[in-house]
Amino acid sequence: MSAIGELTTLKRRKGPLSAAEKKANGRDNKAAYIFLLPWLVGLVAITIGPMLMSLYLSFTDYNLLQPPEWTGLDNFVRMFSDARLHNSLGVTFTYVFVGVPLQLGVALLIALVLDKGLRGLPFYRSVFYLPSLLGGSVAVAILWKQIFGTTGLVNQALALVGIEGPGWISDPSTALGSIVLLHVWTFGAPMIIFLAGLRQIPVMYYEAAKVDGASTLQQFWRITLPMLSPIIFFNLVLQIIGSFQSFTQAFIVSGGNGGPSDSTMFFTLYLYQKGFGQFDMGYASAMAWFLLVIIGVFTAINFIAAKYWVFYDD
Amino acid sequence: MPLFPRSNAAGTNDSAAASSSGARPRLRKTAFVAAAAAVVMALSACGGGATAQKDGGPVELRFSWWGSDKRAQVTQAAIAAFEAENPNIKIKPEYGDWSGYWDKLATQVAANDAPDIIQMDEKYITEYSTRGALLDLSKYSIDTSKLDEAALNAGKGEKGLTGIAAGINAATILANPAVFKAAGVALPDDKTWTWDDFERISAEVTANSPKGTYGAAAYGTDEASLGVWLRQNGKTLYTSDGKLGFEPSDIAEWWANLKELSEKKAVPTASEVVEAEAAPLDQSGLATGKNGLAFWWSNQLPALEKAAGSELQILRFPSTTGKAADAQLWYKASQFWSASSRTKHPEETAKFINFLANSEKAGQALLADRGVYPNSDVRAAIESKLTPADIKVVKFIDQIKDELGEAPAPPPKGAGAIQEIVKRYTSEVLFNRLSTDDAGKKAVDEMKSAIS
Repeated sequence: MSAIGELTTLKRRKGPLSAAEKKANGRDNKAAYIFLLPWLVGLVAITIGPMLMSLYLSFTDYNLLQPPEWTGLDNFVRMFSDARLHNSLGVTFTYVFVGVPLQLGVALLIALVLDKGLRGLPFYRSVFYLPSLLGGSVAVAILWKQIFGTTGLVNQALALVGIEGPGWISDPSTALGSIVLLHVWTFGAPMIIFLAGLRQIPVMYYEAAKVDGASTLQQFWRITLPMLSPIIFFNLVLQIIGSFQSFTQAFIVSGGNGGPSDSTMFFTLYLYQKGFGQFDMGYASAMAWFLLVIIGVFTAINFIAAKYWVFYDD
Repeated sequence: MPLFPRSNAAGTNDSAAASSSGARPRLRKTAFVAAAAAVVMALSACGGGATAQKDGGPVELRFSWWGSDKRAQVTQAAIAAFEAENPNIKIKPEYGDWSGYWDKLATQVAANDAPDIIQMDEKYITEYSTRGALLDLSKYSIDTSKLDEAALNAGKGEKGLTGIAAGINAATILANPAVFKAAGVALPDDKTWTWDDFERISAEVTANSPKGTYGAAAYGTDEASLGVWLRQNGKTLYTSDGKLGFEPSDIAEWWANLKELSEKKAVPTASEVVEAEAAPLDQSGLATGKNGLAFWWSNQLPALEKAAGSELQILRFPSTTGKAADAQLWYKASQFWSASSRTKHPEETAKFINFLANSEKAGQALLADRGVYPNSDVRAAIESKLTPADIKVVKFIDQIKDELGEAPAPPPKGAGAIQEIVKRYTSEVLFNRLSTDDAGKKAVDEMKSAIS
């Protein structure tokens, strides 16, 4: 409380500070910066430094083994005519725009069910959350590969009812779908956030609606969805940003090559291949910055669109 | 409701802050010291580990290779033998699978953190050596007098001798006799068989085997089998001036043959082929008894036999004419011992490479895992130690000596990307997403730009 008290005093003070007070403030700041230093060093050395370096590299021809050579916008121009890059954009967009809505839809559905006050809720919550912790991991991606293989669990189950399933992850027409499914399966994190959001909606709205004779569906459309829209928005922004950058699942499931036939060649995977597989780190850096711009644009669109559908109750 | 209620408590705090300001400076000083201490501790924690190496003290060298578990075991034994002779040199092994090996090495070299001793492949040696990442070993005391001449030349380039051949091998087809026996089909005579025989026999095995077992593995997952095919048709993978040695129509023909094999069910389905690509050696179709025939390098036979738990047989490639001399095989340096050009201990590194190449003790540990020993003395000395599997390999290499074609041109810079291109378009063809002609054109375009 005292810190907040101090904050309000600072705000309320009018007129210039005295010399002694300025000195005291300066010392305060110095101590604060020194406390911040370990984090600051990390930020500069591990995040900002490499980012600036990669920005520089994106304008160079850099093969990892020899010093980079300045080539100006060459890398960016090359992206226009790189058919595999265009394909990788297609794969990534499909993954994001199919995977994210599906995942959020499932997350909301399960959250609604759990919100009804089941017995043993903490247990179910944990069970549904578990895939979120595991889904991004290498182990699960390997497991996925086994389950969806030509002789995997899925096809064994299908064989019981007389269907001969394809090699889900080894057939170009179904491989991306299998990875999208893996993404949908990790709905736990948004589900927990939805669940918290649902708990925030005051019961009185539902009671009033019930008195007025609104059906369950009407209650969902008129009360739950609008009241939950800030949470939906939050999940949407996070998931879209995260999905654009997803790498591990495709890398493991396809054995690192984005195959079969580039059908799971995510943008990030292609970037990795260019940089580390084909010694084209300059181009890979340019791709990374291009991805940053794409994510920035979609996040901006999200925020602009949010004005029209997100409802803040304050 | 505002987050922080602005009640009249703020007013009372106002006076409290003013009255306590006398006690503040000391507190601030304490905070200052505490912060400084925290920073110092954090920084010193980061900087640990880097201890200066004293002259004459033990030298630690890092040695990286790719390969199977069996290779790790024999290599560790060779390291132990070297360390026993040289107590001042410690060798730290770093090993893994082929697929991750090159990504890791590229990153390490870029980060100026390359291992001192690097197991190198012919696909990448030009890439690394022309860019100055490898040490010219001819400047150090490594005895090359006993090494096979062709193998020695394979490690020479414009930047000197950047690789010492670790072994000699050849492209082969390995057969699993158990699969043939179960299908009631006789093993082919590899001195006379043609590609038509290959197709017929494989299809026959598939037809007489349980579901999921095929007469042969598909080729097309790497460029070695393409190289054989091209050589048999008067072309080569690369020319001596570092260009592609074939036309789109040549590779299209190769794929057309594969498609025919696939349609006759001589090889697995497209999906199964894709899955097999990712499988490590000990889970390959040949080792698990799912394939009767498969394309492997000769030195991989012992590891595959170990994984399969049964005997395998080495066969020559089929030819177009039915004459073994037209199979156009060649001796390949299975891999090279190379050294990082930035090693801090070039003398010790060279000493270790010299040991690996010329010491009988190294030979007794490594045997034929990396192919037949290029050093003739070592080869003779370890003959009695060889396992039955090793002996098969050595015998095969010996047998084909007079049938060999011309030595192929070394892969040019950028050749490391070719395998991936071949693999990708092979699956495009097998899944009927591209015609063999279109795949040929596109693949050749990509290959040309990769090695330009």
